[in-house]
Amino acid sequence: MPEAPTRPSPADATKDELRLTRAVQVPGVGGLAGVVAVIAIVAWSVAGSDFSIERFVTGMPRMGEFLVRLWPPDFGRFGLIVELLIETLQMAVVGTLIGAVLSLFLSFAAASNISPPWLYASSRFVLNVLRSIPELIFALMFVSAVGLGPFAGILALVLGSIGTIGKIYAEAMESVPSGPLDALTSAGASKRQVITYGVVPQASPLLVSYTLLLFEGNVRGATILGLVGAGGIGMELTTAMRLYDYGHLLAIILSIIVLVTVIDRLSAIIRKKIT
Amino acid sequence: MTATAEAGVVRVLQPPASAPTIVARGVRVSYGQTVALDGVDLDARPGEVLALLGHSGSGKSTLMKSFTGMAPATAEELTVAGRDVLAQRGTALRALRADVGHVFQHFNLVPNLSAIANVLTGGLHRAGPYNLVGGFGSTQRREALALLHRVGIGDKARRQARSLSGGEQQRVAIARALMQRPKVILADEPVASLDPRLAGSVLSLLRDIAIEQQIPVIVSLHVVDLARRHADRVVGLRAGRTVFAGPAGALTDGAAREIYGEDGEFGA
Repeated sequence: MPEAPTRPSPADATKDELRLTRAVQVPGVGGLAGVVAVIAIVAWSVAGSDFSIERFVTGMPRMGEFLVRLWPPDFGRFGLIVELLIETLQMAVVGTLIGAVLSLFLSFAAASNISPPWLYASSRFVLNVLRSIPELIFALMFVSAVGLGPFAGILALVLGSIGTIGKIYAEAMESVPSGPLDALTSAGASKRQVITYGVVPQASPLLVSYTLLLFEGNVRGATILGLVGAGGIGMELTTAMRLYDYGHLLAIILSIIVLVTVIDRLSAIIRKKIT
Repeated sequence: MTATAEAGVVRVLQPPASAPTIVARGVRVSYGQTVALDGVDLDARPGEVLALLGHSGSGKSTLMKSFTGMAPATAEELTVAGRDVLAQRGTALRALRADVGHVFQHFNLVPNLSAIANVLTGGLHRAGPYNLVGGFGSTQRREALALLHRVGIGDKARRQARSLSGGEQQRVAIARALMQRPKVILADEPVASLDPRLAGSVLSLLRDIAIEQQIPVIVSLHVVDLARRHADRVVGLRAGRTVFAGPAGALTDGAAREIYGEDGEFGA
């Protein structure tokens, strides 16, 4: 005979049902503690980071002046802008591709349902280190290693990509349903075959979607790397700023906005198609 | 002629069809303090469908797991396809598992692979070096397609598994098990997720396969009537012990009550 589950006493049950039907649902002790904690953290951060609405308001006119000085854009060197934007895009394509492939291999090691504990822990550690270093630092390092230019930028994007996407890939692999994996194992498939025919196919829609998001991010990221001489349009942007070449500066910014918007839209359309 | 002479020798050497593929004597499995199986005996012979009946928790799944070394079992004897299960480790155990086809309640197909790709995964253990670069040879592909035709859905070979109905998915899963060229098929609640009409057709397919391939098919079920209609023999388990063993025809209502207890909600 199946044992009857222990039920709360009838009085408790009615009290609980009464609470469920009230229009205002009072959060529990845990919920209240969470709200208090969030408020405390925000207050602490505002106090520590010198945040001031007053200074923002008084500074507004000067921001307006800056924007007025930018106007009108000067598309006199539009050919150069297009050339540099294409270089930026090419850097993002190569950096994302290599970064995604390396991330994929690293993520097998960083997925708890695939990897033995020692490998899991060490690869998660590598990913955490990579993620905590900003791309600009990688760019500085590679500029001094391989010289100025887009190649240094690509290498920086590769390491940055692994830091951004490796953990997300690993979590996509971990979220794969285990039933089909058990079926493959019980049919005599090896570990490698279970990964190839069970884990990767089930994770692939997520993997493709995350890779496109990574590409969008890398297009934006590649526009900044020129700041330290690692190729792309960033160098021209900084130069224009230093020379107070405001018309040219605005033309560059507008062109970047157009490129990033187009890439984001295209990627959104593809992602919608595959999921 | 030498060819006929050789064929004659082969015939002589073949074991009689009645030699059991699975021999289990006194199988015990315990998880910590909990005894899941307490000395179960079972024989499964080529060409027969053997139904395991019992409540959930009676030990049906554990018994099936013990046949492929997936449960911590001890036994006086536990032989599957001529090999002592308890003595197999590593590669030998993988080879033994490849000889045992599984069919699951929730099909366990890879949902975004095509039907034929799912069938092909049943042959991974013998896919050979070609598979290292991620492909399957055309011999294997022909075999997989033929199996899909055998289970009646050859026209849906290209369809993604998730786009198929439950009954069709279970047929793909059966074709995948056959792709293993199994010496026995274990089906754990294969029709519990299907409506009654599909349940009947899947079970008769399994019965046809047992006869065609001359292998035993062990099916765990929880509906007594399905066991009566589709099995040759029945083993009833209750709390890890055998409480009934005999031909399906001998499974009276009294015997069913013995398996399921007096509260007997044992399905019509």
